[in-house]
Amino acid sequence: MSLIVDGQSAEHVTRILFQDFSGWMIFSFYVVAFTAIAVFAYGCYIQIRKYHRGTTSATHSGLAGFRRMLADMLTHRGIKRRDRPAGKAHAYIFFGFTLLFIGTSTITLQYDILHPLLGIRFWYGTFYLLFSLTLDIAGLWLIAGLLYMMYRRKWLAPPKLNYKRPDRSEADPDYTRRDYRIEDWTFLWALIIIAMTGFLLEAARLVWLQTDPSVWDYRWWSPVGAAVAYGLKAAGVGPAAGAALRMWLWWGHGLIALVFIALIPYTKVKHILTAMVSLSLRDDKPAARLPTADLDANRIGYSKITDFSRRYLWQVDACTKCGRCHEACPAKATGYPLSPRDLVLSIREFSHTNLERYALPADEDLTVLGRGLHQVRAETLWACRTCAACVEICPVGIEHVPMIVEMRRALVDKGDMDPAVQTALQNIQNKGNSFGENKRKRAAWTKKLDFPIKDARKEAVDVLWFVGDFASFDPRYQKVSQAFARVLHAAGVDFGILYEAEMNAGNDVRRVGEEGLYEHLAEANIAALAECEFKHIVTTDPHSYNTLKNEYPQFGGVYNVEHASSMIQRMLETGVIKLSGKLDRRVTFHDPCHLGRLNNGYDAPRDALNRIGAELVEMDRSRDNSFCCGAGGGRIWTPDPIELQKPAENRMQEAAAIEGLEVFVVSCPKCMNMFEDAVKSTGNEQKIAVRELIELVDACMQAGTEQPFSHDVPETA
Amino acid sequence: MKILVAIKLVAALDEDFEIREDGCDADPDYLDYQLNEWDDYSWEVALQLAEKFPDKIEAIPVTVGPERAEAGLRKCLAKGGERGIRVWDESLEGSDPMVIGHLLAAVAKREQATMVLAGTLASDHAYAQTGMCAAAELGWAHIAVVSRLDLDPEASEANVRRELEGGIEEELAIQLPAVMTIQLGINEPRYASLRGIKQAKAKPLETLTPSELGLSPQEVGEAGSLSQVRRMYIPEKGQAELIEGTPAEQATRLAEIIKELRGDA
Repeated sequence: MSLIVDGQSAEHVTRILFQDFSGWMIFSFYVVAFTAIAVFAYGCYIQIRKYHRGTTSATHSGLAGFRRMLADMLTHRGIKRRDRPAGKAHAYIFFGFTLLFIGTSTITLQYDILHPLLGIRFWYGTFYLLFSLTLDIAGLWLIAGLLYMMYRRKWLAPPKLNYKRPDRSEADPDYTRRDYRIEDWTFLWALIIIAMTGFLLEAARLVWLQTDPSVWDYRWWSPVGAAVAYGLKAAGVGPAAGAALRMWLWWGHGLIALVFIALIPYTKVKHILTAMVSLSLRDDKPAARLPTADLDANRIGYSKITDFSRRYLWQVDACTKCGRCHEACPAKATGYPLSPRDLVLSIREFSHTNLERYALPADEDLTVLGRGLHQVRAETLWACRTCAACVEICPVGIEHVPMIVEMRRALVDKGDMDPAVQTALQNIQNKGNSFGENKRKRAAWTKKLDFPIKDARKEAVDVLWFVGDFASFDPRYQKVSQAFARVLHAAGVDFGILYEAEMNAGNDVRRVGEEGLYEHLAEANIAALAECEFKHIVTTDPHSYNTLKNEYPQFGGVYNVEHASSMIQRMLETGVIKLSGKLDRRVTFHDPCHLGRLNNGYDAPRDALNRIGAELVEMDRSRDNSFCCGAGGGRIWTPDPIELQKPAENRMQEAAAIEGLEVFVVSCPKCMNMFEDAVKSTGNEQKIAVRELIELVDACMQAGTEQPFSHDVPETA
Repeated sequence: MKILVAIKLVAALDEDFEIREDGCDADPDYLDYQLNEWDDYSWEVALQLAEKFPDKIEAIPVTVGPERAEAGLRKCLAKGGERGIRVWDESLEGSDPMVIGHLLAAVAKREQATMVLAGTLASDHAYAQTGMCAAAELGWAHIAVVSRLDLDPEASEANVRRELEGGIEEELAIQLPAVMTIQLGINEPRYASLRGIKQAKAKPLETLTPSELGLSPQEVGEAGSLSQVRRMYIPEKGQAELIEGTPAEQATRLAEIIKELRGDA
């Protein structure tokens, strides 16, 4: 196929580079271009040297990670979530910029490499015309995307782009984000000026060479340039003025573009590279499976910036301040001194200030925990509930939760924590449970049942039920444990429990940062389980579920673990559970973080609710965007300050907005604990009942003609 | 200067427990041992001083008790400090606070300590005497129930605050060397991580016997004690009933009880 007009030589249909340039001009251009590349390369060196001052990453997913990153990048699947217009605009900018960059590179490829070395030329004729058209379209995409971003930043001004920080007061010297604001706007303006001068340059060239048929005849292959050229002509610009304009624009466009490239490693533009590395290296289960630690080392956790894994140092530099984590964080939403975004930016600024120097500074300048400039404050770390809303939504793959836990490990090692958490950990050290109850009382809740539960230590069972601390000792949730026992018993399941041999599973102990105690608990439970014969493990507690399933394998405990919600769903589906009544109620379901976001268990509880006849109405924030009850990461043991709204209260108000809601369904002992309080403190206890999915199923199995618990859920008007 | 901190592994009772056959103590089967709560605070006082004056102050935990008492020393050393001292042999069984104070005084002399800190009391026997007995034996100045301590290792006295009845605070200057017993709430004790406790096993513990401290068998145990436990027993308790059920059921039951007590039923 040829797009060339008959009688013209395809060889001549091209853009002559440096047309009419004198030797010194070409020479000057190469000096500037090489300087720009050198500045760029030096910047990359400084950055990579900085990242290499971290420790080596223990886990990364190799080639699979690289492929996942390519898919993330090409589909824009991460960045489109919860902000589709911004994601699309970014795609326009990304693909526009990438095509323009590749296109421009093909010129260099031929002119500076293939032609001088191998005599190969391809940049003319049909290829050139298609190239010209593609780049015009790419330029349009770029400008369109940038215009939307400017409009969004200035006029839509979503709160997540606001730089107000919850972890600092305005008096703090590092409160201000002024430099970021300047940088954000400079970035947008620089790119849009580069794109627009490109089109103007194209137009000026057309006007200048309008008498050359090998140029003018093909003007519509650069449609934007051609349209602008007609505009210039209409404004009275002739070939001579066009030539002068072209010369000015050529240098202007070229210099801005080269400065832009030179500054990539020094500015937020570097996210185009760091985000690729971050996404390639990110862990598959950053919050569900925390990194192990060397307990015999002198120190544990991250207290110095050089303790951070290189991967994390790359990641904090990939942050584009898009604010998705800032918006999703339950601690931030309820006024706690934590924003995942600002935490990441503090670490970034700290690493920028101290690790980009020629020599590594002294230890005191490396200490990242503290109250000084860009340091991370203890109260910020303790505000986290490890719900992973930030990790899950981050489009560049930043792993906030493991970083927070690593820093907490350092705090715990120094003994620095809330006294209430200390008491809980002390209880676990002494008694194996956070309630400080005697071990012998662990199975006391079973006494109220009218059938015995098998002792899995003494006889083989199909299903080993790992009960967990809250399900064993919390008086409210003991009723759920009893209900689950009745459900299993009625369904004829062969099950047993560990009785006194069970200890706290350790999920939250690990997330507090008490890794030594966690390992002790994991090893003790694994040893207890090794003595038993069973096919699989079930637990009603998503926290225990998570650590048994994802983290015990780190210590040699590999099991087939299921959460009660999916076991119940399966038994409903297969008809093992016989219902004698339906739940004719309007309900909503609160996704526990450890079941949903961390382990993808979104569907089973919903399906179970449908099968028992409930009318399920979703809250605005559901499934992956579920809003943590506030109890994760050891916060269940920390008293919340009375002046702040509790995350569970925020959540209960969201549920209460559902017209005619009767039951708030939970599927986690900690959620139960939080929401039983929140339903009262928000004044909703007359209207809404907090129930475990298991209790509802149990009620439907027992209910005769009577509606389940019609006695204690008052009718709504 | 050396600060000696007397610590005790106290016995905590289970909810259901029994009295030992001789009727003089709780049955050890029902006891759990843990570090006395007050000692967390007094050890924290010493640690903070040692951290504030790293080259001038050494904090040393000392305990009198059988081998299991080492757990208390390890917990302290997990938080800081380089070594611990335990005093024991069989002859110490049945010692009262006077004997323990005597032993602590002997350790203080041996270590040439400038200050001895102890908890105001131990949560199991609650004598609140050991520290003061040690002071008497040493002939040093002493203050009990201290809620704040300011110390300059170069100075010859320390400044101390105590909380009195009715919200009054008292400030005192005390001549060094001195013995003080520390009240709860004087600071926020740090946490001893399990990793720290394991690592503290590498820190040296010195075990001393009474004879090494120059005390004869007549001066220790029951023989050397001025007091002796005659009997330990559980007094009869009043009865309480937890009323359960719906508010209506609870109210009915409450009304019944009131009637019962008034003799109306």
